[in-house]
Amino acid sequence: MMRISLILNVYMFKVKVFFGAIRASRASVALLLLYTIGFLPSVFGFLTLITNAVKQEAGVNVEFYVEVLSAIASGIMVFAILLSLRGYMVFDYEQNILLTSPIRPRELLIASIFADLTLALVFANPILVLYILLVFSLNLSALSAITMLLAILLFIFMLILLKISLSIMKSLYGRRWINAFTSMIMLFLMLPALSLFLDISLNYSSLPYPSKFLAEILLGIIYDCGVEPLSLLSLTSYFLLSLAFFMVISEKNFFPMAGYAPFVSPFDVSMRTQTLKIERSIRTFSRMGAFLTLNPESKSLLSFLMKKEFIRMLREGSFFGVLLLYLVVLFVISITSIVPSQGAQRPPPQMFFTTFFIGVYSLITPLILVGNWRFSDLENLWIPLTSGADMRMVIKALAYDFILISSVLPAIIILILSITSNINPLLPLILVTSTSMIGCPVNLYITIKFLGKKRRGTPSIFVSWASMLLSALLLTPTYILVVLISSLALGYAVSTPISAIILVYSAVIMMLFMRSAEREILTIEV
Amino acid sequence: MTSFPIVELIDVWKSYDGTQALRGLNLEVNRGEIFGLIGPNGAGKTTTLKIIVGLLKMDRGIVRVNGVDISEEPYEYKRLIGYVPESVSLPEYLTVEELLIYAGKIRGVPDNQIRERMNYFIRLFELSEKRRALILSLSRGMRQKTAIASALIHDPDLLILDEPFIGIDPMGQHVLKELFSERVKEGKTIFISTHMLDTAERLCDRVAIIHKGQNVASGDLKNLQQLSRTGESATLEEVFLKLTEEAKELMVEEPIERKRRTFFGFLRRSP
Repeated sequence: MMRISLILNVYMFKVKVFFGAIRASRASVALLLLYTIGFLPSVFGFLTLITNAVKQEAGVNVEFYVEVLSAIASGIMVFAILLSLRGYMVFDYEQNILLTSPIRPRELLIASIFADLTLALVFANPILVLYILLVFSLNLSALSAITMLLAILLFIFMLILLKISLSIMKSLYGRRWINAFTSMIMLFLMLPALSLFLDISLNYSSLPYPSKFLAEILLGIIYDCGVEPLSLLSLTSYFLLSLAFFMVISEKNFFPMAGYAPFVSPFDVSMRTQTLKIERSIRTFSRMGAFLTLNPESKSLLSFLMKKEFIRMLREGSFFGVLLLYLVVLFVISITSIVPSQGAQRPPPQMFFTTFFIGVYSLITPLILVGNWRFSDLENLWIPLTSGADMRMVIKALAYDFILISSVLPAIIILILSITSNINPLLPLILVTSTSMIGCPVNLYITIKFLGKKRRGTPSIFVSWASMLLSALLLTPTYILVVLISSLALGYAVSTPISAIILVYSAVIMMLFMRSAEREILTIEV
Repeated sequence: MTSFPIVELIDVWKSYDGTQALRGLNLEVNRGEIFGLIGPNGAGKTTTLKIIVGLLKMDRGIVRVNGVDISEEPYEYKRLIGYVPESVSLPEYLTVEELLIYAGKIRGVPDNQIRERMNYFIRLFELSEKRRALILSLSRGMRQKTAIASALIHDPDLLILDEPFIGIDPMGQHVLKELFSERVKEGKTIFISTHMLDTAERLCDRVAIIHKGQNVASGDLKNLQQLSRTGESATLEEVFLKLTEEAKELMVEEPIERKRRTFFGFLRRSP
C-alpha cells in the first residue's frame, strides 16, 4: 500500500531543495524572468516557421515530415536510454535523508517523477508558450489541442518510466547483457533515420515505433489531415507497457545499489557541489599541470600571481576546457571548408563565417574561465583578503591571465586556418582580441559584484547570463565595425585604422571594468 | 614596549539579515598573551574574528589593531596578522610548498626568508613527506597544519585562530601549544576562539566569555571565578556555564530594526 502523504512530503522536499537558491537571492527571480524573455525570440521564430510551413506549402509531403519528426523523437528516446546506462542515481541529500528512511522504492520513485516534472516545467515554460501560441495561430479545435497535449504527455511519461526502469535494472543487475540490450534498442531506434540521407527502404513509417506514432499524431493535427485512432492507441499501449515495466521493477529494493552524485541544481544552490566538481577536475588534470611549479623567485608580485593563476587553470582543467572548445571550432570550420569543395552548391567558407563563428566562441571563453575561478577560488579568497596584499594586483593577475588565454588560444587556431584555408587572419584576430579584452574584465566584474553578501545566492547560470549580455552589449561597436570592414571588403588602408580604433575602444572598456572589479573586491565579505 | 592593547573592540555591532550577531561587544587583547574567546554556538565568536581580520564589516563600533582604527586604515594592519578560519578552505590545486610560498609572497616576505620559514614549518608540522603533494590529497588535520603554517610564514605579531585544534591529532596539538608558548615568550600574541574549555583553561592567559554578541566576562580564571562566585576550585567549564546562564536571564532582547522588503528592493543601491 502506497502512502500518499509520504509521497507528497518527499515531493515537496525535493522541490524545495531544488529551488533553495531562488529563496536565497531575490535577483534569481528577476533573472529567471530574463531567461524566459531571452527565449521568446526563439519561440516566435519557431512559431513563424511552423505556421508558415503549414499555411503556405499546399500539398506538402507530410510523410517526409513524419520521418523527420520520428527521427527527432527517436533521438530523444536514445538520449533517455543513454542516461539510464549509469544506473539509478541519487543525490547526496537523497542518499543521506531519504534512502535511510523507511520509504519504499516505489514511493520515492513516484515522488521523484513528479518533482522532476515540476522542475522541468519551470525551465520548459518557453515550450509551453510555444504550444499555446501554436494552438491559437493554427486555430486548432479544443479536441485537437487536448489530443496534441495528451500525445506529448504520454510520450514524455513513457520516456521517464522507461529511463527509470532501465536504470534500476542496470543498478540491480549491472550485467553486460543489459548494456548489449539497450545498445540494440538505441541502434534500432536510430537506424531508420539513415533513410533521411540514404536511399534505403527502412524508414520510420513502416515500423511500429512510439516515436513514429507521436509524429503521426502531431503532424496529423498540425496539417489537419486527421489523427489515426490506431496511432493514439499504439502510443497509449507503449505508455501502458512502460508503466507495467515500471510497476514490476519499482518493487525491487535498489537502494543499496543506487549510484551517488553530488546535488547539482541549475540554480547552483550549493557551492560545495561546485567544489566537488572542481576537486574531480583537479584529480584529472593536476598531473598535466605538474610541469609548472610556483616558486618565490619571481620578478614582481604581478608576475608571481599571474603564474599562480595559470597553474590553477592548468591543474583544474580550465585551460584544457578552452583548448578543447577551440579544437572543436577548428574541426567544425575545417569540415565546412572541405564539404563545399566536393561540389556542393554552398559557397566556400567565407572569412565572414569563420570570423563570427570564432567570435561567438570567444564570448563563451571568459564565461568558462571566470566561472571556474569562482568555483575553485572563491572560498580561498580569505587568504589574500586577510594578508594585507594589494588586491588590485590579484584582480590584475586574474584579468591578464584570462585575456591572454582567451585570446592566444583562438589566435593560434586562426593562424592555422589562415594558412590552411587561405583566410585573412586580421579580422578574426581583431574580433577575438576585442572579445577577450572586453569579455574577461566584464565577466570578472559581474562575478565579483555577485559575490556580495546579498547576491551570493544568485545561481551561476544567471551570473553568466548577465555577464554575457553586458559583454555582448559592449561588443556591439566592435561587431558593427567588423561587419563594415567585412561587408564592404575594405582594404588594408582603411581596415587597419578601424582595427586600431576597435582595439583602443576595447582597451578603454577593459581598464574601466578592471578598475571597477578592483574596487568591488575590497567591499566583499567572505 | 607600547602600552595599548594589540586588539581593542569598542561597542561593536553586527547583524546579518535582521539577526543581531554582535550587540555592542567590548574586548581587549593585550600583547604577549594567549587570549581565548569562548562562548556557546552562535555567540558571535567567528563574527568577531572575521571583523578583526577584515573579512566582515561591522555595522558600527570601533576596532583597533595595534592602535590603528581598522575602519580608517583597512589594509596595512593586516601585515601584522596571521589568520586561520574555522572551516579552512585552501587552494587544492597547489602543493603544500606552493601554498606557503604563495602566502609568503602576498605578504611581502623576502624570497630567501620564505624558503627558510617554509622549511622550518614543514619540519615542525611533520609535513615533509607531503611537501610536494597537492593540498587536495591531504587529510583534514594536515590541511589545518598547512593553514597554520601559512598564517605563520610572515612571523606575525598577532595570530588569530578560529578553533585551531579541530581535526589535529594529539601530537599536532601538543606541537601547536608549544609553538604558542614560544611565540608568547617572544612577545607575540595569540588570539584563539575555541569550544574546548579544558584546553582554553590550560592554554590561555585570559579569556572572554561572549554570549549573544556581548562580552559577559573577561579576565584570567581567578577573575572569572570571582565574578561568577563559583569558588577557587571551579573549572573554566563551571564558570562558563554559570556566567552564560546568568547572562541568559539578564539579557533583554532588543527589537531589531528590519528593513522593509519590497519586490524591487534589490534594484536599490545601498548608500
